[in-house]
Amino acid sequence: MKFTVPIFNIKNLNFNVKNQSVLSNISLDIFAHEYIAIIGPNGGGKTTLIRMLLGLEKPTSGDIKIFGKKFKDFKDWHKIGYVPQRASHVDSSFPATVLDIVKMGRTSKKSFFSTFSDIDKELVYDAMIKMDVLNLKDKMIGTLSGGQRQRVMIARALASKPEILILDEPNTGVDMVSQKSFYALLRKLNKEEGITIVFITHDIGVIADDIARLFTINQKAIICNNPKQTLSCQEMSELYGIDAHLLHNHKHEH
Amino acid sequence: MLEMLSYEFMQRAFLAGIIIAILASISGTFVVLKRYSMISETLAHSALVGVAVGLVAGFNPLWMAVIVAIACAWLIEYLRSEFSLYSDAVLAILLSGSLAISVIIVSLGGAFNNSLFVYLFGSILSVTQEDVIAIIAFGSLALGLLLMFSKELYFIAYDEEVAKTSGIKVKLLNFLLVSVVAVIIALSIRVVGSLLIGALMVIPTVSALQFRVGFIKTMLISLVIAVFSVILGMTLSFYFSLPSGATIVLCVLFIFISSLIVNRR
Repeated sequence: MKFTVPIFNIKNLNFNVKNQSVLSNISLDIFAHEYIAIIGPNGGGKTTLIRMLLGLEKPTSGDIKIFGKKFKDFKDWHKIGYVPQRASHVDSSFPATVLDIVKMGRTSKKSFFSTFSDIDKELVYDAMIKMDVLNLKDKMIGTLSGGQRQRVMIARALASKPEILILDEPNTGVDMVSQKSFYALLRKLNKEEGITIVFITHDIGVIADDIARLFTINQKAIICNNPKQTLSCQEMSELYGIDAHLLHNHKHEH
Repeated sequence: MLEMLSYEFMQRAFLAGIIIAILASISGTFVVLKRYSMISETLAHSALVGVAVGLVAGFNPLWMAVIVAIACAWLIEYLRSEFSLYSDAVLAILLSGSLAISVIIVSLGGAFNNSLFVYLFGSILSVTQEDVIAIIAFGSLALGLLLMFSKELYFIAYDEEVAKTSGIKVKLLNFLLVSVVAVIIALSIRVVGSLLIGALMVIPTVSALQFRVGFIKTMLISLVIAVFSVILGMTLSFYFSLPSGATIVLCVLFIFISSLIVNRR
C-alpha cells in the first residue's frame, strides 16, 4: 500500500480521434522509484498515452496530475526525462557534438544570457559518465552508432536530474549487444539512483525480472502487478485483439 | 579599397551590409536547422507588399516592410500550428500571394518604377543615413533576442517535442524567431534586395554545415562566410558597376560550391 503522492495520477482518461476511441477509460498511478513497462500492439495507444502524460496531446476527457499538480500549474519539467521513439535516428548533418546534445538537458534550467555554471557542467559530465559516453563528447552525433546515440539521448535526459525517465521504444534500430547493456543501465538507474522508469517496449521477456509492474495498453489498460507471471490466453486475446488460444494450439501442431 | 571607403555612401553601405550579414547568418542558422529555409523567401516577398504600400501611399517603405513582414510571419506560424497544412505549402502560398498583391498595389498606384526595382534587387547607393540608424537599432535588438534565446532555439531546432517536454515555451519562441527573421529581412531588402536576401540567410549556414562541426563553430563559420561575401560583393559591385545584391549572392554561392568541394567525402 503506497501513501505517497504519485508522480502521475491518471483518472478516467479518454482520447478520441474523429470520434474513434484511441484510449478508453484509463485510470492508473505511477509512483516514485517504480520500474514500469508498457506493452501492447502497434496502434494500441501506448505512445498516445505517453504523449498525454508529457502534455504533447490533450485528452478528450479525464484527469492527469503530475506530482500532484494539474498541467497548467506544473512547472518542474526538469523532473521528467523523455527519450522519444526516434531517439536513435538523428539527422546526420545536424551540427551537434555529443556535449552539445547532453548540455540541452540543462537548457530549461537556464536563465537568459546565463552561461553554464560549475553545477551544470558537473551534471552534464556526470550524465555522460553514467551513460559511458564521456569519451565521445567531441564527436558529432551523426557519426555515432545507433546504440551510442541512444546512450547520448538518455544522458541528455539525465542531465536535467530527472525523477522519472520515460522511454518510448528507444531500442528501435539498435543492435542486440547494445540493447543488453542498455537494459543493464536502466536497471542500475532504477535500483541505484532511484529514478522511476516508464518504458514502452516489445522485449518484455528480457526485462521481466527488473520491472515492478506491467501496463498492457490496447485502447484499454490492463495493469499486471506481477510481471513475471505470464499473461493468460484470455488477457493476451483481450490485449492484442486476436484469439490467443488458436495461436497457442497452432504452435503445438508443428 | 581605401579610395572606395572615401565615399560616404560606401561607408554607409559597408556598415549596413556587414550588420545585415551578421544578422542574416545568425538568424539563418536557426532557420536552416529548423528546416525552414523557405521562410526567408516568403517573408522577403511579403516585405515587398509593405514596400508597395509605402511607395503608393507615401509612407516610409522600410517601416511598412517591417510591419507587413512581421504580420506575415505571425500568419505563417498561426497557419502552421492551428491547421493541418504542410509548412512548405503554407510558405509557397504566401510567397506567391504576397508577390501578386505587391505587383497589383504598385500597378494600381502607378509606382512601378525604379523605386521598386531597388527593393527587388538591392542597391548600395540607396542606403541612407536613416536606414543605417534603423539597421543598427533594430538589428541590435534582433541580435540581442536571438542570443538571449539561442540555447532554447537550438534545442527547438534539434527536437521541438523534447524541447517542449523540457518546459521550453516552444510556441512563443517560434513566434519570436519568425518575428526577428521578419525584421531582419525587412531591414535588409534595401541593401541586398528582397529576391536575394533569402540566399544570404540560407547559403552561409548550408556552407558551414559542410564542415561538420558543432553548433557554435557552425554559426561562426556561417557568420564569417556572410561577412566576407558582403565585403567582397560590395567591393566588386563598386569597381565593376555591378548590382550589389546579386554580386553578394554570387560571392556566397561561390563559397558554398567551394565548401562542397573541400568537404567532399
